[in-house]
Amino acid sequence: MGFMFNIDAGYLEGLCRGFKCGILKQSDYLNLVQCETLEDLKLHLQGTDYGQFLANEPSPLAVSVIDDKLREKLVIEFQHMRNHAVEPLSTFLDFITYSYMIDNIILLITGTLHQRPISELIPKCHPLGSFEQMEAIHVAATPAELYNAVLVDTPLAPFFVDCISEQDLDEMNIEIIRNTLYKAYLEAFYDFCKGLGGTTADVMCEILAFEADRRAIIITINSFGTELSKDDRQKLYPRCGKMFPDGLAALARADDYEQVKAVAEYYAEYAALFDGSGNNPGDKTLEDKFFEHEVKLNVYAFMQQFHFGVFYSYLKLKEQECRNIVWIAECVAQKHRAKIDNYIPIF
Amino acid sequence: MGALFRSEEMSLCQLFIQPEAAYTTVAELGEIGIAQFRDLNPELSAFQRKFTAEVRRCDEMERKVNYIKKELIKDGMEVKDLFYNLPPVPNPREFIDLEALFEKTENEILELSENFNQLLQNFQELTELRYVLERTQSFFSEHVSNYEGSKAEEAGETQQLGFVAGVIEREKVLGFERILWRISRGNVFLRHADIETPFTDPKTGREHHKNVFVAFFQGDQLKTRVKKVCAGYHASLYPCPNNYEERDDMLKGVMTRLQDLTMVINQTKDQRQRVLVSVSKDLPKWIIIVKKIKAIYHTMNLFNIDVSGKCLIGECWIPTNDLHLVQSALTNGSNVVGSTVPSFMNVIATNENPPTFNRTNRFTQGFQNLIDAFGVANYREANPALYTIITFPFLFAIMFGDLGHGIIMFLFGLWMVTSEKKLLMQKSKNEIWNIFFGGRYIILLMGFFSMYTGLIYNDCFSKTMNIFGSSWKIAYNESTIMNNTEGQLQLNPSDDSLVEGRTYPFGLDPAWMLATNKIIFLNSFKMKVSIIFGVVHMIFGVIMSVVNYNHFRRRSSIILEFLPQILFLVLLFAYMVFMMFWKWFRFSPKSQPPYSPGCAPSVLIYFINMMLFGENKYPDGCEEYMFPYQQEVQLYFVIIALLCIPWMLLGKPLFIMCTGGNKGHGDHGDEPMSEIWIHQAIHTIEYVLNTISHTASYLRLWALSLAHAQLSEVLWGMVLNIGLTQSLYVGGAILFPIFGAWAVLTLAILVMMEGLSAFLHTLRLHWVEFMSKFYTGTGYIFAPFHFKTILNEEED
Repeated sequence: MGFMFNIDAGYLEGLCRGFKCGILKQSDYLNLVQCETLEDLKLHLQGTDYGQFLANEPSPLAVSVIDDKLREKLVIEFQHMRNHAVEPLSTFLDFITYSYMIDNIILLITGTLHQRPISELIPKCHPLGSFEQMEAIHVAATPAELYNAVLVDTPLAPFFVDCISEQDLDEMNIEIIRNTLYKAYLEAFYDFCKGLGGTTADVMCEILAFEADRRAIIITINSFGTELSKDDRQKLYPRCGKMFPDGLAALARADDYEQVKAVAEYYAEYAALFDGSGNNPGDKTLEDKFFEHEVKLNVYAFMQQFHFGVFYSYLKLKEQECRNIVWIAECVAQKHRAKIDNYIPIF
Repeated sequence: MGALFRSEEMSLCQLFIQPEAAYTTVAELGEIGIAQFRDLNPELSAFQRKFTAEVRRCDEMERKVNYIKKELIKDGMEVKDLFYNLPPVPNPREFIDLEALFEKTENEILELSENFNQLLQNFQELTELRYVLERTQSFFSEHVSNYEGSKAEEAGETQQLGFVAGVIEREKVLGFERILWRISRGNVFLRHADIETPFTDPKTGREHHKNVFVAFFQGDQLKTRVKKVCAGYHASLYPCPNNYEERDDMLKGVMTRLQDLTMVINQTKDQRQRVLVSVSKDLPKWIIIVKKIKAIYHTMNLFNIDVSGKCLIGECWIPTNDLHLVQSALTNGSNVVGSTVPSFMNVIATNENPPTFNRTNRFTQGFQNLIDAFGVANYREANPALYTIITFPFLFAIMFGDLGHGIIMFLFGLWMVTSEKKLLMQKSKNEIWNIFFGGRYIILLMGFFSMYTGLIYNDCFSKTMNIFGSSWKIAYNESTIMNNTEGQLQLNPSDDSLVEGRTYPFGLDPAWMLATNKIIFLNSFKMKVSIIFGVVHMIFGVIMSVVNYNHFRRRSSIILEFLPQILFLVLLFAYMVFMMFWKWFRFSPKSQPPYSPGCAPSVLIYFINMMLFGENKYPDGCEEYMFPYQQEVQLYFVIIALLCIPWMLLGKPLFIMCTGGNKGHGDHGDEPMSEIWIHQAIHTIEYVLNTISHTASYLRLWALSLAHAQLSEVLWGMVLNIGLTQSLYVGGAILFPIFGAWAVLTLAILVMMEGLSAFLHTLRLHWVEFMSKFYTGTGYIFAPFHFKTILNEEED
C-alpha cells in the first residue's frame, strides 16, 4: 500500500520525518544540563534545529518565554502539515487537536469557576486546541448549557453527549466532564484509526490503547480519598485499552494503590512500570515511567513507514522535548540542580 | 599565474597574542583574511568558552539592530547594503559607546512606536464609535416602526427592551449570531451592517473587516450573558444613546475629537519619521560593525589561554607567502592598543594535511570552481584548472560549433564581463543568474571558441558563408543542370576542370553545404577530430601524473605506473590517430593505386583487425597495408601494449615488497600487502578498460556537434524558411512573426538548452576522461577568517 500512501501523504510524511531529525539527542541534553544560566541555554539551543528562535527576545530571558516560543514553533510546524493534508490524514490530524480542545475547555471552565477573567485565561490555552466559540464558554453555568450554547457546533459535540446534565458546574463535575469527554474522544479516535486499517491501525491502536490504560490507572489512583463513587469511576474508564474488560473491572473494585498495582501485575508492560517506580527521593514517579513508556512507543512509530502514526508521535515526542527543556530551564533558573537530570531523553 | 600550477604552500603558525591586543589583532587579521584558525578547545561547548559574554552582548546588539531595521522597513524605508567604504572595526571602548547608542535608539523608537500605536488605537476606537453611531440609525428607526406596528399591543412589556451596540470582526458575525440565538433561545434580536473601509491593526499591520451590530434583548440577566458573549468574541461595545438627538450630538463630538486626533497622529508620525531617517543613514554601518565584532569574538573563542594566563594562543594555517602580512598585522594590532609586550608568531612543524589554497582572480575563479566542484585538490597537487581555461571552452566549442550561436554567447559573456562591477553591486538572489554570472569568463571564452569552430565548420545559423569563394567550379552547362532529372550531378575532385587548383583557405568549403553527401563527409571528419583531440587530451592527462609523482617524490611510480600507462595509450590509440593522419596524407583523388581513393582503408576496421591479429580485406589492385612493414609494426605495438598490463599490475606491489616497506608512499600509510594488491588490481583493470571506453566517450564531441548542426538546420528549414519562401508582399508580413518564433527558438533551444548540454558533456569529459588520469581531489579547501566572506554569507 506504500505507493498509494505516498500519493497523498508521502510529502508530509517526509516532512514530518525531517522535523523528527531535529529532535534533541542525548548529547544535546548533556550539554543543556551543564548550562549555568538561561542565556547559556539559549546559546546552546541556537546550535540545534531550534536555531534563532529566541534571537529576538530581549534579555533577561524568562522560562515562560522559552516555553511559549518552543510551543509556538511546534504549533507552526503542526499547522503547516495540517494545512497541506487531505482526507483522511486531515481528519486524523484534527483528531489529534481535539484532545487540546478538551484541555482548553476544562481550563476555561475551571478558571471562570474561580472568578478569573477570561482574558487572563485565554493566553494559557493551547493554540492547537483553540476554536471560535472557546472564549464565550463562560456564559454556560451547567453542562447542558455548555453543550447547547457552545459545544454543539464544535467537533467535540458527539463526545459530550454523556455529560449533559442540569447540575451546576463545580470542581468535581468538571473533572468528571473532562474524563468523560476524554474517554469518548479516545474511543472515537481508536475506532477511527482502526477504521483506517493497515500500519496506521497497528501503530496508533498500540499507542492509544496505552493512553487509555494509563488514564484508567491514573483516574483510579487519583480517586482514592475523594467522594467519587466506584460506579461513577468505572464510567470514566476509556474502553479501548488492553485492560478492557477484565482489567478495568478489577480496577473498578480497587481500594488502594496496592490493589491497582496487583491489577497491573497481570499486564507485563504495566507491571514493569509499577516495579520501576517509587515515591522515595531518587526514584522515578509512576507518571515519569508512563511518560517514558509513551516516548518508547512513539519512537517505535518511526520504525515503520507509510502510516499516520508518525504525525501523532512527532507531536507527542516534541511535546515531551518541550517539557524536558522547560524542566531543565526551570532547574537552571531556580538554581535547583539536584533534579535537573529528571528529564526524559527521547533518542 | 604560477600560483595556478598547484595550491600554495601553507604553514601552521602559533600566534602568541597579548590579551589586551587580541581584539585588535584579530580585527586586523579579519580585514586581510589570510589565516584559517583552528579550534583549540573542541571539547568545550558554545557557552563554556572564554568570550561567551561578549558574543552574547553582540547577539543583544544584533537583536536591537534587527529591531530598528524592522521598524524602518515597516515604515517603507529602504535599508541599503554597503559594498564599499565598509566601516572598520571599532576598538573595545567605542564598542561600549555603540552599545549605549543602540540602547538609546531602540528605546527611543520603542517609545515612539508605543505612543503612536496608542494613538492609532484611540483613533480606531473613535472611528468604530463613529460607525456605530452612524450605522445604528437605520436599525433604530426600523426597530421603532416594528415596535409601533406589530408589537403595539404588548407595549407594556416591551418597553424595557435593552440593547448593546458595538463592532465585531466580520468573519465572526455568523458564529456570534448563532451563539446569541442559542444562549437566549432565540430571544436576542441582532442586526448588523458591514463597514466598507477595513481597519488596520496598529500592532501587526494587518487589515481587518468589521461589522457594526446592535443586539436587542429583554431583561438584565440576558444583558450580562450577551455582554459575556461579546467579550468572548472580542466585540468592542460602545455606548449608544437611545434617541436620535443624543446620538447626533455624540456623533458631532466624536467627529471633532477625531479631527484633533488626526492632527496629533500626523505630528507623531513626522517625529517618528525624523528619528528613523536619521537612524537609517547609520544603520547599514551598524549592521556590519556588529557582525564584524561578533566574528572577532567567535574567532577569539577558538583560542587557547596560556597557562600563566598572560597571553592567548591561536593556531592557524597561513599561506607561506603571506607570513609577513600576518606579522605586520600582529604588530599593528599591538600598536593600536599601545601594548608594551609585542605579540609574536611561531611557525610550527606538523604532519597534518594542510588546506588547499589556490589564489585566484576574477578570471580564474570560475575555472577553479569547476574543478573544486568535482573535488578539492590534495595539498600541492597539480591543479587542472590552469589547463581547463583553454581545453574547456575548446572542447565545448567542438560540440557547439556555430558562428551565429557563438556570437550570441560571446556577446552575453562580454556584457557580463564589461558590466561586472555594476552587476556585482546588485547582488542578485536569483540562483540561476548567479550561476551564469559566476561563470561569465567561461561563457565569454566558450562563445569565442565557438565562433572559431563555427568558422571551421563554416556554419552560421546552419548556413554556410562563401567568404573566399568555393574551390569547386561547375563545369556543367546550363541545359544539363536545368534538364537534370536523374537527381544527382557529380563533382569529381580528380577532374581538374572542376577544381580551382587550391584548397579552400580556411575551414570547410561552402560547396559542401549543397552536397547530398554532406553528412557522410562531415561525420567522418568530425569523428576523426573527436578521437584525435580525445587521445591528445588523455595523453596530456597521463603526462600530468608525472608532475605529481615528481613533486611528491614518488619517482618509482614514474617507471612502474606512468610508463606502462602512457605506452599502452600511445601504442594503441595514438597509433590509431597516426593512421588517420596517414590516410589523409597518403590517399588523394589524383594519386594512382594503391593510393587511389578506392583503396583507402577504414581506419576503424584496421584497428580492430590489429587487435585481433586478423587479415584485412582489400579490393583488387590495392595493397593490404598503408605503409611498408605496417603489419610487423602493429604486431610489436600490440604485444608491447599487452605486456604493459602485467607491468602495471605487478610493478608497484612487487616494488613495495622488495623495498620492504611503505616508506615514502604517503597515501598507503600502513596498508597490509593484500590491500595494496587489490588496489593495484582495481587500478589496472580500471585504467585498461577506461582507455577504451574513454576514447569512445570522446565521440560525444562528434555526436553533439552533429545534433547541434542538424537541429539548427531543421529550425531554419521548418520555421524561418516558411517566411522566406513566400512570394509577393505577403512574405514580409508573415516573415515578421516567423522570425520572432525562429529567434526565440534559436535562443531557447539552440543556445540555452544545447549550450547547457554541451557544457555538461564538456564538464564530464574533464572530470572523468581527463582528470581521472592524474587527479586525486581529496583535499579540503582553505577557508580563512575574512570579514568579507562572513558579511556575504550572512546576507544569503
